[in-house]
Amino acid sequence: MNHLTSQQRKWLYVAGIVVLLVPIIYLGMPPEPATARSGEISGGKLAELRLKDKLGESALGNVDPASSTMGLLLLGFRGIATSILWMDWQDQQRNKDWAALRATTESIILLQPHFLKVWHYQGWNLAYNVSAEWDAVADRYYWVKEGIKFFKKGRERNDKYAELYWYVGDTTGKKIGRSDEWKQFRRFYRSDPDVARFEGRPDPEVNPNGRDNYLEARDWFQRANETIDSSGNLEHIMAIYLFRAYPMRAEFDYAGTMQREGIFDEVCIEAWKTAFDDWTTKYGIMEFDCPIGSIHFEVTGDELDQMIAEEDAQNLTERDRKSYWIGNYQNQTNYRFWRLKSRVESEKEMAEAHREMYEGEQALHRADTAVARKLLWDGMSKYEKILEEYSDLKKEDETIDEALLALHGWRECVELDDEEIPDAYPLKEFWDLNPKRRETAKEEFNRRRRGR
Amino acid sequence: MSSEVVIQTRNLTKIYRDFWGRKKVRALNSLSLDVMRGEVFGLLGPNGSGKTTTLKLLLGLLFPTEGDVTILGRPASDVTKNERIGYLPEESYLYRFLNAEETLDFYGRLFKMPANVRRDRTKKLIERVGLTHARRRHVKEYSKGMTRRIGLAQALINEPDLILLDEPTSGLDPLGSRDMKDMIVKLRDEGKTVVMCSHLLADVQDVCDRIAILDGGELKVLGKVQDLLKDQGVTQIKTSRLADNVVKEVEAVLARHGAQVLEVDHPTTNLEDLFVKTVRESAARPGQRYVAPALPASTAT
Amino acid sequence: MSLNFSPVPFDLAAGFTHWLVIMVAVLALSFVLAIVISMLTLGFAGPVEVVVHSAGAFSDFLGTSPRRCLALTTLTFREAVRRKTLWVFAVFAVLFLFAGWFMSEATPDPDLQVKNYVSFVLRTINWLILPVVLLLACWGIPDDIKVRSLHTVVTKPVRRHEVVLGRIFGFAAIGGLVLVIMSAIGYVWINRQLPQAKGAQLIARVPVYGEINFLDNEGKPTKEGINVGDEVMFRSFIEGNTKARAIWNFSNLDPSRFEGQGRLVLESSFQSFRSHKGNIERQLMCQFTLINPKTKLRVPLKAFEVHEFRRNVYDVLAQNKTLQDEDGNSVELLKDIIQDGKLQVETACLSSAQYLGMAKPDLFVRLPDRSFAASYFKSITTIGLMMTMVVVLGVVSGCFVKGPVATMLTAFVVVVGKVAHSFLQSLVTGNVSYNPNVKMQGSGLFDSIYRIPTHLNPMVEIDNKLVGRVVSTLDNIELNALWAVQHMFPDFASFDTTEYVANGFDVPWAEALLPSLAITVGYCLPWILVGYFSLRLRELEAK
Repeated sequence: MNHLTSQQRKWLYVAGIVVLLVPIIYLGMPPEPATARSGEISGGKLAELRLKDKLGESALGNVDPASSTMGLLLLGFRGIATSILWMDWQDQQRNKDWAALRATTESIILLQPHFLKVWHYQGWNLAYNVSAEWDAVADRYYWVKEGIKFFKKGRERNDKYAELYWYVGDTTGKKIGRSDEWKQFRRFYRSDPDVARFEGRPDPEVNPNGRDNYLEARDWFQRANETIDSSGNLEHIMAIYLFRAYPMRAEFDYAGTMQREGIFDEVCIEAWKTAFDDWTTKYGIMEFDCPIGSIHFEVTGDELDQMIAEEDAQNLTERDRKSYWIGNYQNQTNYRFWRLKSRVESEKEMAEAHREMYEGEQALHRADTAVARKLLWDGMSKYEKILEEYSDLKKEDETIDEALLALHGWRECVELDDEEIPDAYPLKEFWDLNPKRRETAKEEFNRRRRGR
Repeated sequence: MSSEVVIQTRNLTKIYRDFWGRKKVRALNSLSLDVMRGEVFGLLGPNGSGKTTTLKLLLGLLFPTEGDVTILGRPASDVTKNERIGYLPEESYLYRFLNAEETLDFYGRLFKMPANVRRDRTKKLIERVGLTHARRRHVKEYSKGMTRRIGLAQALINEPDLILLDEPTSGLDPLGSRDMKDMIVKLRDEGKTVVMCSHLLADVQDVCDRIAILDGGELKVLGKVQDLLKDQGVTQIKTSRLADNVVKEVEAVLARHGAQVLEVDHPTTNLEDLFVKTVRESAARPGQRYVAPALPASTAT
Repeated sequence: MSLNFSPVPFDLAAGFTHWLVIMVAVLALSFVLAIVISMLTLGFAGPVEVVVHSAGAFSDFLGTSPRRCLALTTLTFREAVRRKTLWVFAVFAVLFLFAGWFMSEATPDPDLQVKNYVSFVLRTINWLILPVVLLLACWGIPDDIKVRSLHTVVTKPVRRHEVVLGRIFGFAAIGGLVLVIMSAIGYVWINRQLPQAKGAQLIARVPVYGEINFLDNEGKPTKEGINVGDEVMFRSFIEGNTKARAIWNFSNLDPSRFEGQGRLVLESSFQSFRSHKGNIERQLMCQFTLINPKTKLRVPLKAFEVHEFRRNVYDVLAQNKTLQDEDGNSVELLKDIIQDGKLQVETACLSSAQYLGMAKPDLFVRLPDRSFAASYFKSITTIGLMMTMVVVLGVVSGCFVKGPVATMLTAFVVVVGKVAHSFLQSLVTGNVSYNPNVKMQGSGLFDSIYRIPTHLNPMVEIDNKLVGRVVSTLDNIELNALWAVQHMFPDFASFDTTEYVANGFDVPWAEALLPSLAITVGYCLPWILVGYFSLRLRELEAK
């Protein structure tokens, strides 16, 4: 080698470097950021394989530069750092140091951006546990929003996984619509209590369209379902046939909550109708795998026969098995109940019955006995008539409770008028058959009177 | 040289111990000597003979295992003695991020010295050791010789009465070495006491009034340099150049008196003298160089 | 505000006595120890040596020269600068560049946001400056010894402690410079990131705290209220619509320092606990009653709603048109109620079957605010003091061990003092509960050693009186030894005044600045002594 001059040696090194670079570039070149998102193949062989086998970070969702930088900065100590943060976080929760807790949460997800359970745990914690620690409803709502925003951010980072879409929907629907403070929360959802900041409009980060929380939730559930179809990544929250039902369940909640708030108009009826249609024509025809093959829920006897015929017309046990599995799955999803309920509720007569009973109760609370007695009687009569038609509903708790409430109201009117309770009156069977439930219904009746 | 004793050691012994307190090396054994004011005293000996240990015991950097040191009338452990001492360590242990001026200023501030005096002295010393051109450069960029020079300058910053030099010429080129020796002689002429240790015999021979030779931690020889070097059995005659016949005559005279002629030759200067002369001449007449006579045709390899 | 935020004024006299006792004890102990050891190694010449060295030390300290210290300080500073120490700014700048990423999304609530930004800045400064000065300080003297530049210095008339002091001052100065620049950048950064918070949240409230007492449901005095099930027992709860009260005693109010000529402003941050839902749209009601502790004059004030986790500001004169005592007679605040700077504030919860939780710092008299800059830079001062401690510790440990060991030693003491000081304290005091009033049950080391083999339940007393006494004596010795060890580790956590600034409080002199200063001085003096003796008694040549 010594016969080479220093310059020749340097050129040799350069050549060596270039030769070595070729395989490195071939194997390891990172993909173009622009094409990486769209899923096109670019970059080196490794990048290609990563994309193919969904091993790259972008296969999980958005890549956050801050997060990657942190990972790099901590070298191998990410695990330790994360553990310390989690311990800090627990201390902060114990000490009710909410500002620090919120910041620590942010740091944790910076280090664990694709750990779905972390998002779930922390988002839930913000929306449910931290919010419950605050006394003022507006403060509680603030933390529920923090939870939703947190889920939304997690969704962006992991947008190929259905879970976080579902969590956004679930918190938007259930936490806002069904917690103790549901009346205030639902109001705040459409008009944020932080008037100084939002001027009476909703917080655009949680409710960009200014809609009802259940409608917003329905869309998130819908997107969760679409994500499963587009990414092929299954969800791990519940059985798929339950998961698929959520957009429609949100529609039921939407319509049902309107009734709870005393709205029985066309909008409500229309909501029930949409819910029924979606339940039977969208959800009802979805194919689900069961141990004996594929089934769907919206099925008549003839259809069932036809389904069997295609496979094995002569085999009667096959029919039994198929109907057994459909029935089984229908029970799990409460399919028939919701089908029936949404159908009945979308009838005008039913809406009238609800309205009259509700308004009757309101009138009684206003001490307008005469009006109350008439409204309640009318409503009860209508209700009885419909229930005769759809007697399956008679067994449902909701139906019984509504009937008993109306009965309590009506009986009070009668007593206030110094009259005897007649022998026959509408919905009498509910009164006679549920002595125990009568008591709880009475408590609820009184509570509602106080809470007016 | 007066009769005032500047340094006195009595029975000075240093034993290095290992971690467990077991005796490991007896670096110095029962050294007793006196150094007088105004003399240049040389500590001589091979590597590891205990020269540096002695110096460090004198300065209080090491603690004696046995025996006493009195230096300028005070015990070695007393810091105030340092007011009048200058010390040049074996390597110049200086702060690498300071330049020459800052270095001298820093050491100057460790003495009671007004700012203007400090400034003057810094300037003079830098000139004296010939570092004016490099006074703004960081010490870490200095060559070994320059470091020794700035080291000497810091040892003289307080105009000490007693100067302790550890291998003052080590690492210096012959010219620097000669400068150093000249300076030592000059310091003696100014009435200062100098104690230096060295293993370079020529250095010691040139400048020291008295020397002590140490070996294996023990004092072997102590005395005046002239006395020690004088070989009483030999007479050397130096003349100007003699014609051959005159030499014959002289030889005959000597033979008559029964003296045996050992060698008659032209005296040479020593190598150091020659080198110094050459370099000085080259500086005086630049461009002149030695031209070799024609060589036989080369059988190139 | 976090729960365990309870500033206690520092008792300088008590602290000083405490310190003096320990110092004298330690000095005496080391003297005796030195004599014994010197006797063992040097025989009867030993004690003489010890006395000579002690006397020498005394005269050395008397001969301290500011000029030499300054020379060494300048040297240290210059060296550190030329070693490019200031590059740490680059790290700092990078951190702030990226900080926006980490913080922007966090939380839009202005109170919480200010808190996060301020603590981020102060914590970053804290954790960046410590490693820098730690490394500088720990390697300074060992490096000097290793390359023997110290030889050249100590053969000048320099006292060994001057070397130590020079290093300490130099490193402290360079650290101080870094700190000043960092804090200025931090201050500008906070103000630029939170322009809307200026004035509203970036403030320094000046509280005057009182002592708290409780009355139980029947109106009898009690040590604390009810625990509603919080894991951390910091706040006690009083039940609404009963005779339960929390009473604060203020003893040193100066009405001339009140907001706008004698307006009494009470700020509270109580916690609400509901045993039933109640009306969720309304908050729990709370009522203050001002009491003149001398004349027992009681003046009930208008009730207010408690906004949990928020600052409830109650301006007494603005919210009560007239002040009337319980009989309806008009009274004057400054004349009839506050007397000799003393005032009682009785707090009641008016919502029945609901509870209000409170602890001592939850109610205070709020004096006019100071500027945020004042509290911010005061907090920086405490960081500076802590940095000085680290410098002293690092320099001193560098006097007796080599650089890497000194670094580890110092880092250990800092980490223990910062993170585990309260844990150590709990070991010594046997107090491991979250509740400061609950002592750990059980026994000491020797007690346990006796009980385990004899199968004796810790609740049963030891039968044998002699054994019992021996065991408890030994345990006491052990505990005292532990106590001494614990005091070797300074409480670095007490230098952290971030909580004050982040929560919008002024950094108080008596509760925060004075103790930090006292701790710094108290620890630095003995440490410097240790450094001096390490350098003096050490053969610098020995490897």
